[in-house]
Amino acid sequence: MNVGATLGTPDAPLAVDPGATDAPEGVDAAAGTELAVVEPEPLDANDARDRRLVRRARAGDGRAFEELIHLYQHRIFGLVLRMIGNRQEAEDVAQEVFITVHRALASYRGEGRFYTWLYRIATNTCKNRIKYLRGRNFHRSVPVDETPEAQAPTGEGGATASLQSQVAGPEATVEGSRLEAAIQAELAELEPEHRLLIVLRDVQGMSYSDILRITGLQEGTLKSRLHRARLALKDRLRPYMK
Amino acid sequence: MAIPNDNSAERMTAYLDAELDAAEAEQFEQFLDESPEARAELEDLRKVMKLVGSLGETLAPPDFAEKVSRKIRRRAMLDPSSGLLGLVTLPFQVICIVVILVIGALNMMAQLDAQPQAVERDPAADPQPQDGFDDAAGQDAPLPIVR
Repeated sequence: MNVGATLGTPDAPLAVDPGATDAPEGVDAAAGTELAVVEPEPLDANDARDRRLVRRARAGDGRAFEELIHLYQHRIFGLVLRMIGNRQEAEDVAQEVFITVHRALASYRGEGRFYTWLYRIATNTCKNRIKYLRGRNFHRSVPVDETPEAQAPTGEGGATASLQSQVAGPEATVEGSRLEAAIQAELAELEPEHRLLIVLRDVQGMSYSDILRITGLQEGTLKSRLHRARLALKDRLRPYMK
Repeated sequence: MAIPNDNSAERMTAYLDAELDAAEAEQFEQFLDESPEARAELEDLRKVMKLVGSLGETLAPPDFAEKVSRKIRRRAMLDPSSGLLGLVTLPFQVICIVVILVIGALNMMAQLDAQPQAVERDPAADPQPQDGFDDAAGQDAPLPIVR
């Protein structure tokens, strides 16, 4: 899934309280310690649509917010699932993300793209949940691909089995499923900061500029950290690399 | 170690992600030609990226949006600042509690007025003296001497 930037016409900014901030409640302030100076975000037709929906949602239109959920639920759920590694927990966290967004809409200034703001909330919610689960010695009791939902075909709430579909036949499907579960398990063993960059860049195919805006990292830091993340994952995935 | 410093690591990442311009990419390829270790590492990282990139796209459950909307509505109902309970302000709640307590107390007093015997006949409140003993004599009083 590539959610990279597309150039387009900027929409009119949202009229909001000038004292308001885009940082929602519950967002980890520490995440902003390496804030980079990032150039203004180019906006496209999708951003204009998001802004219209946000404006309506802020005015109390519940259907507009539901539309926003429908637009971003799969991306956010995918991000959270790859970060947390447990389907039930991921669903709960993803729901929490949208609830936080709904609560924080009043403080959204609309200066940047809605979806980078949404992703910032999602990544911080994930980090907080991971910290909490570590404190409770949480183990991923129900792996990503062992739930009925995960086994459902595409379009029915299941994972699209790209690894499974590369080779035909039931054995290949099982093998692909195992490989995917193994990669997910190794991914989940990485440090959360490394995991996040791998998921954003290599799984979701985001552009550097979007990742910089979401994480608040400097470009050099992003590249070196991404390199270390890939090296760490390479050591873990060595048995699966042919 | 194929990558001697952070700058090279950054360049390798940028090269893998096609984020180098043409001149920088050419320069980096020259470096790769001179360093088989770096080339091997680059190939390994490509394989890692391919494996991770082939992870299945995940879809949210079909009722995800509905569940979120339901939770938002429920929280709005319970939120004292904006929901239905928002109408019930703190002073109003305090007044309600006081009124309930007063009504309860009045009701109890009315019951006591209607049945005063109930209290007087309570053996715990007014124990009956035993036969042959003076009412005035308490339990600790000495026994009367009978001649």
